[in-house]
Amino acid sequence: MAGLELKNIQKTYGKVEVIKGVDLDIEDGEFVVFVGPSGCGKSTLLRMIAGLEDITGGELYIGDKLCNDVEPRDRSIAMVFQSYALYPHMTVYDNVGFGLKLAKTPKDVRDQKIREAARILKMEHLLDRKPGQLSGGQRQRVAIGRAIVRQPEVFLFDEPLSNLDAALRVDTRMEIAKLHADLGATMIYVTHDQVEAMTLADKIVVLDAGVVQQVGSPIELYQRPQNRFVAGFIGSPKMNFVEVAVEAIGPDAITVGSKDVASLRVPAATAGISVGDTLTLGIRPHDLSPANTGAIVGRVAIVERLGNETIVNIELASGTAWLAVLDGDQALRIGESLALAAEPAKAILFDAAGKALLPTPA
Amino acid sequence: MTAAAAPALKMQRRSLYPGWFYLPAAVVYSVLFLAPTFASLYFSLTRWTLFDATFIGFDNFAQFFREPFLIQGLVNTVIYAVVTSGLKVVIGMALAVMLTSQIMARGYLRSVIFFPVLVSTIGVGMTFTVLMHPTQGMINQALALFGIAGPGWLVDPKLALFSVALVDVWKGVGLATVIYIAGLVAIPKDYYEAARIDGATRLQNFIYVTLPLSRPATATVITLSFIGGLRTFDLIWAMTKGGPGFASDTVASVIYKQYQAGFYGLSTAGNVVLFILIAVLVVPLTMFLNRKQGHE
Ligand SMILES: Nc1ncnc2c1ncn2[C@@H]1O[C@H](COP(=O)(O)OP(=O)(O)OP(=O)(O)O)[C@@H](O)[C@H]1O
Ligand SMILES: [Mg+2]
Repeated sequence: MAGLELKNIQKTYGKVEVIKGVDLDIEDGEFVVFVGPSGCGKSTLLRMIAGLEDITGGELYIGDKLCNDVEPRDRSIAMVFQSYALYPHMTVYDNVGFGLKLAKTPKDVRDQKIREAARILKMEHLLDRKPGQLSGGQRQRVAIGRAIVRQPEVFLFDEPLSNLDAALRVDTRMEIAKLHADLGATMIYVTHDQVEAMTLADKIVVLDAGVVQQVGSPIELYQRPQNRFVAGFIGSPKMNFVEVAVEAIGPDAITVGSKDVASLRVPAATAGISVGDTLTLGIRPHDLSPANTGAIVGRVAIVERLGNETIVNIELASGTAWLAVLDGDQALRIGESLALAAEPAKAILFDAAGKALLPTPA
Repeated sequence: MTAAAAPALKMQRRSLYPGWFYLPAAVVYSVLFLAPTFASLYFSLTRWTLFDATFIGFDNFAQFFREPFLIQGLVNTVIYAVVTSGLKVVIGMALAVMLTSQIMARGYLRSVIFFPVLVSTIGVGMTFTVLMHPTQGMINQALALFGIAGPGWLVDPKLALFSVALVDVWKGVGLATVIYIAGLVAIPKDYYEAARIDGATRLQNFIYVTLPLSRPATATVITLSFIGGLRTFDLIWAMTKGGPGFASDTVASVIYKQYQAGFYGLSTAGNVVLFILIAVLVVPLTMFLNRKQGHE
């Protein structure tokens, strides 16, 4: 079993810097998810760990071994590709056993391992088929089976669920979580779907433009995002933002307001902030509730009634569009004025550079 | 089944284009292919002098098969087709693998290899006849520099057919290479990466990934060059005229010799025989090459 350590890992293609110095510690048995918008370098980072992409700078340790120049097969890793990469001319049995065959594993040992993997993934009945005769979900299983038989210390997944339909994605997600619990291996998983990240991860690594924005547990990232990017990226629907001015600075809190928001006292770090500064206020759609005396007033633009909750698009006085997720079924008319109260303890202020002014935890 | 389901089914079967769209193709096909085919079937059953034709049944075929060197021509034709298509597959594949890897001047080399395809066959034949001259030819003179006594490429009866086949390969391998390159670049990169993680060597990559996944290209190359080899005429005629003696005669050159001698009905019968020979060999071959593979 093995953890990983990335020290100032960099990747450049020609002059383009794609990964700009990533430091990361991954513990043995941890489930780590890389998330970030398209093109931020998630796949590149994963492929460097796999050994499919050269490392331009920095050091990569798998276990205690420096692996920068180690061939993929000697890194004790296995990778599940987004396209599955199953060989169309081989049966499932041969696909799963391909790596073992190349490693010249004796036939009986190979057979036993293939059947064991098939049993774990409940695909014994598929072994004689070719990939073309399988559904998307079944192919996904075979691809995972191919990784399992190698008994790697680290599993690498690059968006493995993105070719599946929504229902199957949920099932497979749970199966991967179960597999992680059963095998206890280290897993690194790339996705741009933050629901997958939240549900699967022990630890999420948020990347943007080749830079790690924050590393932490899902709840940590949700409750205490360190900057505006992470706050906006984690959580669905997205956090609402609006510019506000500092009205007063109290002990461990800042009172802010604007023409959109009547005075709101938000717990925050106050160092370096003075009255009159412009900050960004962030409030999650779920933390808003209708109240006649609410601090935030806007006009209802779109109403989506889902039965158990109501998603309201409102337009603030400055023209900023906000979302609010309200409990239960709310009969709202488009164009009517709506006052919303925000729970100040859940609101977050960001300075001009986008850094969160998080209060020191109680 | 409900009433609504029936029209829906009909809708699915309906073609994208109206039926009369196929008319131009049908006219061209009948005028240029069907009519000559049936005409030659008819003339092969006649004594034909271009001005009049007398029906004589299967006499032409009987006479064609009595041609003393016909059997050798048939054997030569098949040997020629097998040798040329086999070499084109092997060499074309090797060149394509080389030209799709990271080597210098890749684009330039691709055009160099394709260039002979564009040159006239007669020109190539004449050039190589000169190059292959047993004493004055450049090939044997070059071999002599290394102290090797070059063979009589086109004058040795045992060698002549193979010499022409080699020139055919030289000229045609560019097309095979281009087909293979198209096939190889269509293989997703993921397969090679997955194999790399599994620890495949370059040879194993080739055997387990490249070779099986380029099978459609192989089928195309074999079919094209095999049919081309069976019908071959111009290169043989330009280089050996079937000689020495009848050593490099193929069915097509035998037919041409009869045509030159004025036996039109007879040579037409030979063409029908060649057509049947091609059909008999190629149809099962393509069925074998394109058999279902589980996927697709
Ligand atoms: N071979 C290459 N040459 C130059 N630039 C590249 C190359 N491969 C990737 N890039 C660039 O590197 C950046 C990161 O790519 P990467 O594939 O890692 O993104 P990603 O986070 O996986 O995105 P996605 O979610 O769309 O898969 C992109 O901006 C891409 O354009
Ligand atoms: Mg990617």
